Amino acid sequence: MDKIRVLIVILGLDQHEVGAIAVSRMLRDAGMEVIYAGRFNLPPMIVQMAMEENVDVIGLSCHSWEYFYYVPELLELLKEKKLEIPVIIGGSVITPGDAEIITKKGVAAAFGPTSLNEDIIQTIKRITSGKTR
Amino acid sequence: MTEHFTRSKIALKQLYTPKDIKDLDYRKHLNAPGFYPYTRGRSADTGGVWIQRELSGEGEPLRSNEQLKYLIEKGQMGIDVIGDSPTMACLDPDHPFAANAIGTQGVSLCCLQDYKELYKDIPLEYITVSSSVPAPFAIAGLYLVAKENDISPHKLRGSVIQAPFYAEDCGYSMHMPFPLRLRLTTDSIEFCSKEMPKFHSFLEDTYFFSEAGLHVAEEMALGFIEIRHVVRNLLKRGLDIDNFASRIAILVNCGMDFFEEIAKIRATRRLFAKMMKEEFGAKDPRSMAVVITSHTSGLSLTAQQPFNNIVRGAIQTLALALAGVQAAEVSAFDEAYRTPSPESHLVGLKTQQVIHLESNVTKVADPLGGSYFMESLTDEVEKRIWNMVMEIEAMGNAVELSGKGWFKKFFGDTIERYAKQISNGDLLKVGVNVHQIPDKEDTLLKDVAEGKIEPCWERIEKIKDFKKGRDQKRIIDALRGIYEKAKVESENLMYPIIRATKAGATMGEIAGMMRMAYGSPYDPYGKIESAVGKGF
Repeated sequence: MDKIRVLIVILGLDQHEVGAIAVSRMLRDAGMEVIYAGRFNLPPMIVQMAMEENVDVIGLSCHSWEYFYYVPELLELLKEKKLEIPVIIGGSVITPGDAEIITKKGVAAAFGPTSLNEDIIQTIKRITSGKTR
Repeated sequence: MTEHFTRSKIALKQLYTPKDIKDLDYRKHLNAPGFYPYTRGRSADTGGVWIQRELSGEGEPLRSNEQLKYLIEKGQMGIDVIGDSPTMACLDPDHPFAANAIGTQGVSLCCLQDYKELYKDIPLEYITVSSSVPAPFAIAGLYLVAKENDISPHKLRGSVIQAPFYAEDCGYSMHMPFPLRLRLTTDSIEFCSKEMPKFHSFLEDTYFFSEAGLHVAEEMALGFIEIRHVVRNLLKRGLDIDNFASRIAILVNCGMDFFEEIAKIRATRRLFAKMMKEEFGAKDPRSMAVVITSHTSGLSLTAQQPFNNIVRGAIQTLALALAGVQAAEVSAFDEAYRTPSPESHLVGLKTQQVIHLESNVTKVADPLGGSYFMESLTDEVEKRIWNMVMEIEAMGNAVELSGKGWFKKFFGDTIERYAKQISNGDLLKVGVNVHQIPDKEDTLLKDVAEGKIEPCWERIEKIKDFKKGRDQKRIIDALRGIYEKAKVESENLMYPIIRATKAGATMGEIAGMMRMAYGSPYDPYGKIESAVGKGF
């Protein structure tokens, strides 16, 4: 089976990169192909990259509340382009309350600061199963 | 027998004895506080009180002003302001990238009026003003507000962070090329050495990049690499070392390895003194006695069992009190999951007050001095810092190393190392990898996490209107002046930045003109054009 391709991005002007780098390396060690786009991305740029890189899942690293406003826009754009790429988010600012709200809006999974590596890996495998090329 | 190590992997013995300090020469290696090599403290005063403050700033400048006054009223002795992420990135609130981040992680500042509101009714001649806002703009704002209030800039005290080396790689991106960042650092230090001589215009910030999981020797080695490079540049300009060296301060991290953090601070003071005297030829003792300030470690905090963070802050603050720092801030207990709440600011300030006023630990200078263990550890940490400085410098010019991405890769590796240490249990964290409690029981102080700060979207229209209402010709002239002066390496950019700020130009506009002069796009994201127009 081909490797699962994960796009890791940070939204807007959030400068915190530690979590995104740590998670990227963790997913790489778990056998996934990580396309690391780093900081300073808006939804249209993310959709563009996701298409070009033909990724199986988009992972947003969130350490500012900007995601709250950008995620609905991103999901809308993906729908417009008829791209069925699941979006997962993870980061320090995601509380249990936020996780509930944001998954209702259509995010495939939300991981707060207490999440375990293994949960993230298994969730990505589950939501991409049968979708890899 | 189990082997034990410090966080930076220095082997620990079960017991230290006179043998461990047999080579220690009191006069040469320690001496009294206030005397070279300043291992025991930069000043001879005992009963040292440090400046107690909390990093703050949120929303519009007036809201932050209220926050500052509240903290001063509660006993804060200095102010320390952080900008929101657009401000830290040198972008105005009306930039298309800024909208959802305005005022949520710091205060939104972009023009002179903002600084006037931020410092409204704050006695700038009596209180120290520190800032994490990009240095040239923080200095210009403070300088102009002081002048307007008839306060001589010569009286201003405080500090600004200069982070030309690692900012772009590790969390304070200003979207500027390396040579421009370095020039703004040297220009602003040179400017302050003349116009704001009491102000610490060069706060070397090892805090922010060490949050990428660096251990103590790595943190300080990278700090020294940056200090040395900037100092050499200033000397090349013809400045006398004693004209600016006393205005260098270091903002260090303080993590959970209690004795190692104290040893780090003592070793740093000694290394700095030796470097200034022996290598850079400083003669003024003040040039050798470095001011050290600290933030307790945000990285050490956890979202699990957040009340433990209050304990962590207290332990780290105690280490700082024993190490004899000049200023301290306690990272807020809720920082692991949000921009600090007012409650957590208060806890941070109170932590400092309790240690200062109730524990009696501040009455004796360097109380751990002479301890077999502390002196041995200080020596070892010092050796490791210096070896790493020499190794990195031997690899070539630090600017080239940065260009090749060496530091970026280094931070990536330390982030990974730290994450693995937590996941494999090598580094114990109560609530994370040991003594966990089920989520449903872990409720104490969790409600604070659900609070949020909404972006100040209203700032967008306000700044747009402000820009429309200005004398356009004056703005264009001022911005052209920035561009032209930026093209000439021998000009000090602080003067045109101050002129343009006074004329009403914004930080985003000034930064954009400087980027253009250095061959970068006006807007790093290609979304907006300069006020000067397309044909420029």
